Amino acid sequence: MISFLAFSVRRAWHGYWKNALMSIAATATMAVVLVLLSGLIVLETGLNATLSYVQSEVQVVAYLKDSATEQDAINLETNLQKMAQVSQVQYVTKAKAYQDFLDRHPDEADVINSLPDNPLPASLQINLTDPNDYIDVANYLNSQPAVDHVMNIRQTVDQLNTVIGVLQTGGSVILIVVGLIVLFIVVNTIRLAVVARADEIEIMRLVGASDAFIRWPFIFEGALVGLFGAAITIFLLILSQGPITSFMADYFKVLPIEASTTVGPTIGLIVLGAGVGIGVLGSLLSVRSYLIR
Amino acid sequence: MAMVSPATSESKASQTRRPDASDRPDDAIPTRIVLAMQGVTKEFPNGRVALRGVDLVVPEGDFVFLVGPSGAGKSTVIKLLIRDELPTKGLVLLDGRDLGRLKRRDVPKIRRRIGVVFQDFKLLPNKTVRDNVGFALEVTGTPRREIVPAVERVLRVVGLTGQADQLPSQLSGGEQQRTAIARALVHNPRLFIADEPTGNLDPAISWEIIQLLLRINELGVTVLMATHNAEVVTAVRKRVVGLENGRIVRDEVGGAYHRED
Repeated sequence: MISFLAFSVRRAWHGYWKNALMSIAATATMAVVLVLLSGLIVLETGLNATLSYVQSEVQVVAYLKDSATEQDAINLETNLQKMAQVSQVQYVTKAKAYQDFLDRHPDEADVINSLPDNPLPASLQINLTDPNDYIDVANYLNSQPAVDHVMNIRQTVDQLNTVIGVLQTGGSVILIVVGLIVLFIVVNTIRLAVVARADEIEIMRLVGASDAFIRWPFIFEGALVGLFGAAITIFLLILSQGPITSFMADYFKVLPIEASTTVGPTIGLIVLGAGVGIGVLGSLLSVRSYLIR
Repeated sequence: MAMVSPATSESKASQTRRPDASDRPDDAIPTRIVLAMQGVTKEFPNGRVALRGVDLVVPEGDFVFLVGPSGAGKSTVIKLLIRDELPTKGLVLLDGRDLGRLKRRDVPKIRRRIGVVFQDFKLLPNKTVRDNVGFALEVTGTPRREIVPAVERVLRVVGLTGQADQLPSQLSGGEQQRTAIARALVHNPRLFIADEPTGNLDPAISWEIIQLLLRINELGVTVLMATHNAEVVTAVRKRVVGLENGRIVRDEVGGAYHRED
């Protein structure tokens, strides 16, 4: 068994360098594809981070009646915080609302100051874990006597969901299409390498080599193409880590530290797995037709 | 399937006591049979019928010339024997094993009992003589320490010990074919098949190759050689099986290339 593995690995290694031009072409193709894949993953990660940021920003705002006491508000706040759908509650008093208004619209200060009383209501600003749970929270709030009315965000949630759905489906479709194209290109490149060694395979069959002895060297060779392709890709990714991180931080809501510690290794693993996987699959498909019928 | 009873002690005994044909109504030959074809028909997917009802029995130690014009079916017979093709009808038995019912994973094992050489030698150009021969053992999982002595042994048999470290491109045609023969012998095959082994060689070298095959036969290996070389066949006077249009048209012991009526 060990001698078989040694034989296969040795032959794969020799096979790789014997047809160096073909092997390098396959490896380069693999690297291009893996870089493309990494790019897609970066975009997809950024997109998802942005979407979940946007989702976390969806707020239910409940305006309280002027008759509601501070105690009413605090009771409500406590109850809301116990709900699973709620991630965060902020109580905005009448005074705070007034101050916020002045901060946001300094030009309108005269208008609001001309009124006898502060017209702005106190409110509870509620962040949701999932915007789709909006209706549960709204129903609860509407049943409370202290609540004057709940701002209707149904339309916003629906629109957001549509956009998210389209973006995620689109991303997956592009990933699948690119994956298939890549597999096709790599399979064909590896097939060329196998065809170049058709004589050798024929002799192996004639002298009674088992399928395993014919197949495994090519599988290892395919894995080698994937491994080298992945190494090149990961090297390029490390080189461009700085620009990618700042790109993700600037355009998407991904923290730089998160990008380099979480996203980086994940992409590295995916690139490695995809490279070796595609290489092996390509070899299997290419060598299949040469085995015993 | 009485005719292909495997090589048991019983059949060994019967070898010395040949019964009359009347004892065995099914034409059985009570000796060790290396190869038997029974009612073999081969039709290719494109509709071409290459063999029609071929019966052939080759006992151990035989030397058989397979002759006939191009397209007569010689190559198809060889393809069936190395189980590159399966018969459409009939049986092909090698050492009593029905090749048509062989499990996929047993095919390589049966091929190790057959040594094959071809007109075009099929050597690997970037390997030395020694490595070309050793390759056959290496790819069948033979441990390294067993490969070296086995290769030396067959190189001695074919007389290439001095050229062991040369590449095929440095060898003459005859030496290349002897390398191929060494590779075919290294597994100690039961049956040695040569498909036009002298097709690319000049007459003098062809004779050397034939002498080598006769010697291999003397060492106890059954030989089946497909050939167009009339001179050689006629001179050697071995068993001649003639194929025409996919049928066996003659089977003579000590025959010539052409029918002698």
